[in-house]
Amino acid sequence: MTKLAELQTNFIRDCLSGQLTPENTLMANDLDTQLISAQGLMSIYQNSAIANITNSLSLSYPVIEKLVGKDFFQVMCEQYIVKHWPTSGNMDDYGESFSSFLAEFEQVRHLSYLEDVAQLEWRFHQSSLANDNSYFDWARLAEVASSETITFLLSPSLSIMSSTMPVDKIWLMNQVNTPENIELSLDGDSDTFIVLFRQGLKTEMMTVVASEFAFLQSIENGHDFEAAIESAQTVDANMSIDHCLKKYIELGVICGFSV
Amino acid sequence: MVLIMQSIQGVGVSLKHQHFQEFINHKPDVPWLEVHTENFFSQASTSSKYLAQIRQDYPISAHCVGMSLGSAAINCPVREQHLQNIKSTVDWLQPGLISDHLSWSASQSGHYLPDLLPIPLTEEAFAIVANNIKRAQDVLQRQILIENPSSYLTYVDSPITEWQFLSSLAEDTGCGLLLDVNNIYVSAHNHNFDCLTYLNNIPLTAVKEIHLAGFSTEMIEGKELYIDTHGDRVCDDVWRLYEQAIKRFGALPTLIEWDTNIPDLAVLLDEKSKAEAIITKVASIEKSNLIANTVNGQS
Repeated sequence: MTKLAELQTNFIRDCLSGQLTPENTLMANDLDTQLISAQGLMSIYQNSAIANITNSLSLSYPVIEKLVGKDFFQVMCEQYIVKHWPTSGNMDDYGESFSSFLAEFEQVRHLSYLEDVAQLEWRFHQSSLANDNSYFDWARLAEVASSETITFLLSPSLSIMSSTMPVDKIWLMNQVNTPENIELSLDGDSDTFIVLFRQGLKTEMMTVVASEFAFLQSIENGHDFEAAIESAQTVDANMSIDHCLKKYIELGVICGFSV
Repeated sequence: MVLIMQSIQGVGVSLKHQHFQEFINHKPDVPWLEVHTENFFSQASTSSKYLAQIRQDYPISAHCVGMSLGSAAINCPVREQHLQNIKSTVDWLQPGLISDHLSWSASQSGHYLPDLLPIPLTEEAFAIVANNIKRAQDVLQRQILIENPSSYLTYVDSPITEWQFLSSLAEDTGCGLLLDVNNIYVSAHNHNFDCLTYLNNIPLTAVKEIHLAGFSTEMIEGKELYIDTHGDRVCDDVWRLYEQAIKRFGALPTLIEWDTNIPDLAVLLDEKSKAEAIITKVASIEKSNLIANTVNGQS
């Protein structure tokens, strides 16, 4: 390793090491410490990196920040960051495991909805970065023979999730323009099925019935149309597949197919 | 889409997502805008779609923060992937200028710190940075500008001054320089050097762009440090230093840079007006001096 490479390895190790002390600061012999100690100097960069990464998490998880408050959010982020330092310069990719971290974080473990709200926010974030839909070819669909096996393709911006919590309502109540008349109960016994997809510049969120969720989930898992129908009708035998398919094609949620 | 290919001239401002709609709907009078390239790696993203619209009306400069040009890591996939992401974004954006910093972020261990970390200014570091700049310019197929960062520490072994280091990089690699006047001021305070000595030792033709920004102060172990936050107005001392820079280098493209505590766009435009007034003032003085010299020469 070159001298500079070794110095940079030590610099990173100091930044990753959490609380710096005179004993554990690897950069101590490389820095001019006449006015400020080595751990004092390294702390500036450690804190600055943490602040920059926290800012990135704040952009991906604004509702979580609002729910727990800015100060506590910073505390949580710092704990998360020291365990999960970035390994890429593309900060859009950073923070996927934040939801599972929240589930284990002692001080908020009793807030059981936080993990799913964070998951929802990550899905919003990913949807905003996804590629656009291709154009759905209705004419080609009409030409497909009934004997052929069709597998539908989902929009790159689509994300589906289910939760035992009303995370859609929690998310909506924490937006700038909160819709009126949202009734929130954390004691409900029905699951929430959420579909996210981008239309133009906006990511839309819909709650759907269990059978439609099963239909989309089956397609997402790579199953063909027949298997998707079976999944949906296992949940609701009376479900209208025609209506469901037309609706999701028109919304751009289903954007193509292969035969 | 019609791409605006004009060169970057006059006083531009940072383009932040908080101001996307204002630029699209009201098209304020700004000659060019600068973006952080890293915020537009996904060209299908919502942010990129806004930028594509804005790009139709404003020339864009691409300011990178993560090429990690000072990194000694060899065959570093983190850096190489980042460079390819930059290339992809630059190919799409066709910016008037591309810049990054004299700093590093990626280590041999595969970790990446989203910050502008300082390098020791040594012969060894010079060879590494020069090599990385040449590689970046080869991949991007164009000149890049290197910006002087703010720094808060100095290395024991760092025998070359920053102005010498940057000047030599420009000569050796053909890169241009992006002079951040605020960063000179911040580092000069933190490391006790003279701002004008710095300015006067930068070669006249190397500088292609100037940055102006605000900073904050922090007490560390009883010593007051200036911290480059890009979150406030430009201070009076930096405006005076900017005037000296314009006198020395001419009316170079200048950016009002703002990255944290983003205010109303009106605040950025107000700072832009101040920079324009200084450019006008310097041009006026130069014109008066030219006339006076001509008259004196005749008499």
